[in-house]
Amino acid sequence: MTEQKKKSISLSSKLKSSLDFLFPFLIIGIVWEILVQTGIIELRSLPAPSTLLAKFWELTFVNGILWKHLGSSLYRLATGYLLAVLIGTALGALLAQKPLLHDMFEPSLNLLMSVPTIAWIPIFLITLGLGDKTVIIAIFTSSFFAITYNTMRGIEMIDKSIVNAAHLMGLHGLNLFLEVLLPASMLSIINGLRLAIGYAWRALVGGELLAAMIEWGLGKMVYQARYFNDASVMLLGLLIIGITGFLLDKTFLTILERNTVEKWGMTAKK
Amino acid sequence: MRRKIFLAILPIVIFLLAWEVSARLEWVNPVLFPAPSAILNELVDLFQEGLPAHSILINHTLATLKRLGIGFSVGVLAGVLMGVLMGLSNPSFHFFNPLILVLMSIPGIALAPLFIIWLGFGDPTIITLGALSTFFPVVYSTTTGVRSVDRQMVRAAQIMGASRLQVITSVYIPWSAAFVFNGIKLGLARGWMTVIAVEFVAASNYGLGYMIWYATERLKADVVYAGILVMILIYFILDKLLIGNVEKKTISRWGMITQKQEE
Amino acid sequence: MDPIIQIQDLYKTFTENDKELVALDHINLDIPRNQFTVLIGPSGCGKTTLLNTIAGFEKATSGKILLDGKPILKPAPDRGYVFQDYALFPWLTVLGNITFGLTHNGWEKKGAEEKAREYIDLVHLQGFEEAYPHTLSGGMKQRVAIARALAYNPEVLLMDEPFGALDAQTRKHMQRELVKILEKEQKTVVFVTHSVIEAVFLADLVIVMTARPGKVKGMVKIDLPRKRSYVEDHYLHYREQILELLEEEVEKGFED
Ligand SMILES: Nc1ncnc2c1ncn2[C@@H]1O[C@H](COP(=O)(O)OP(=O)(O)OP(=O)(O)O)[C@@H](O)[C@H]1O
Ligand SMILES: [Mg+2]
Repeated sequence: MTEQKKKSISLSSKLKSSLDFLFPFLIIGIVWEILVQTGIIELRSLPAPSTLLAKFWELTFVNGILWKHLGSSLYRLATGYLLAVLIGTALGALLAQKPLLHDMFEPSLNLLMSVPTIAWIPIFLITLGLGDKTVIIAIFTSSFFAITYNTMRGIEMIDKSIVNAAHLMGLHGLNLFLEVLLPASMLSIINGLRLAIGYAWRALVGGELLAAMIEWGLGKMVYQARYFNDASVMLLGLLIIGITGFLLDKTFLTILERNTVEKWGMTAKK
Repeated sequence: MRRKIFLAILPIVIFLLAWEVSARLEWVNPVLFPAPSAILNELVDLFQEGLPAHSILINHTLATLKRLGIGFSVGVLAGVLMGVLMGLSNPSFHFFNPLILVLMSIPGIALAPLFIIWLGFGDPTIITLGALSTFFPVVYSTTTGVRSVDRQMVRAAQIMGASRLQVITSVYIPWSAAFVFNGIKLGLARGWMTVIAVEFVAASNYGLGYMIWYATERLKADVVYAGILVMILIYFILDKLLIGNVEKKTISRWGMITQKQEE
Repeated sequence: MDPIIQIQDLYKTFTENDKELVALDHINLDIPRNQFTVLIGPSGCGKTTLLNTIAGFEKATSGKILLDGKPILKPAPDRGYVFQDYALFPWLTVLGNITFGLTHNGWEKKGAEEKAREYIDLVHLQGFEEAYPHTLSGGMKQRVAIARALAYNPEVLLMDEPFGALDAQTRKHMQRELVKILEKEQKTVVFVTHSVIEAVFLADLVIVMTARPGKVKGMVKIDLPRKRSYVEDHYLHYREQILELLEEEVEKGFED
């Protein structure tokens, strides 16, 4: 099969699978719309999909409020999460290389990793205030431990002969880390990143919702709508939270995975 | 071994000591960072408050546990049933899977405002959201488990005379057990988190989350820390004692835990 | 000859990615009763497919298979199947695995366990009744699988490369064991293998299949006493005969 043919097939199959994915949403939307239009269900707190679409139009293209909410959320997420990735992988690598540090911190790390995300938020609200800082640090904290732990485990499980070979070739320090340790432990690191993005997403939405001084953000959008009893804004916000959370995992992590461990044939075990 | 335990405890002890000292010497604001001893004191106070008739702390905790208990049970039951259905029937998998993937990305607390409109403050909203957040990981794992059933094993059962229903009970369900447990563990973590988080915003007067949030808004840091400590402890107890034990008697004994699955 | 299984004009296709693939091409074959029949052929020629259609796991596209004159429609306990990768239930003990076929066929628990113990003795696994499969070696697992398939007394035993995953030593040992077991248990066996040596050691009748699409290329009757050695002259003669039939097909398989 030629390259081009392969590509066009994978493209059309991609299109087909995204259509398959959207199909149930479409069906539910239509059924729901019919139920509301014919008056079979009549609830002020359950708006019809057409109302939601109109609202969506208004919030995106008329006043653009939705973009502002989404933008603030993504900004916070990116700041907290990337910070956790940077510091977490570095610390994980350090712990993996020094047995003494490993023995000292592995148990605490394990413990801290299983502390529910929601536990951090009140603590940070009290100590850091009710604004942006709290949310970003909550995102950082809830993703940091999982990333550190999985990086550490990943590097510790690397075949010793690979590391020895690298030493023989004269690799040390940062070069050794970037060129050998990082790729060799990628499977475990991605595992950590995936866990962490889920935690971070929860911390973000929860934090935005609970931090009183925050005005913008998807969590706030949903929470504020409560004061106006505006179920359509709420439903819209929730839908966008769900879709964005899902896409974060599906796009960014899947792309990373495809370009690293899958390309290197490290996922055969699955 | 002893060395390992010593090394593991060392940083925790140093951290707590440093905290204790800096709080006492007021290097940090003791209102925001009350000393560990003060937190423990508060914990005892909370426990004793209202004794002998009842204990405030226990009342809050029981209220939360009751909500979790109902929500979690409903979530697990519905999740396993739905997961088996989705695992066995391809059309239902293709229909529900996208919905579940998107819905499970919504943190439980974000659903609270909507459910408060629908069900009002208090138990109905908290329990429903606890059930929902348990439900999703359970469905997801159960479905994955049932869909991964070894076809040869199904065939082995069929040729030995097992009926359709017997194949489900004697092959599909035990096969999926490892996945279901993993889902239940995750579901418990999510359920516990969600119940407490929703209590922050939707509880009317009882619950650990209510207690923590009430204290947060009034900057009573010692109560907040004490509450969170209880919340974490209970979570560990539930996870290790309840689920860990069932796991040991089943999938570990069958050699079906290949690699430690992470939460 | 009194055939227990009659395969009549069996035709089987698979559809994958909208493409049709002929796996079995109009096969006509009689499997003799109470004899050991071996299916051999190049990889991908449809041996497993044929065995699975006899088992009732796969449906014929056209044509049919009769067992004692009645068409096979679905898997049923008048047949037993031994899988290459054992397919033991990891959540059941050795005893539990072997009683499975009995309790699902109307046996009381107690009687079933007694019966199962007989078969545990037969395959020399005394002392491992309560062991879980993951604690056993490959050879032991396959013994459990054989005991499990025999215990509920099916008329036909279907075996798909049952020793394929074992090391050479264990494999020879299991072949001898199987011969001994079948001396005690009169059974019709249909056995798939890649190994000509194994085929000649075990078979009364060897059926050689063509490269895909699978047809019957030829049959070789093995007229040797049950107790065989691997080195006798006759033995070598049969081996040559089968190899000749096979080689043509293997080459063909590589041509397309
Ligand atoms: N479920 C299936 N779907 C599609 N194609 C199949 C399926 N099962 C088998 N085939 C195809 O049918 C052909 C015959 O397969 P089969 O497994 O019966 O061969 P075999 O003789 O047992 O091979 P081997 O010696 O390698 O085990 C192969 O080309 C295989 O790819
Ligand atoms: Mg085969």
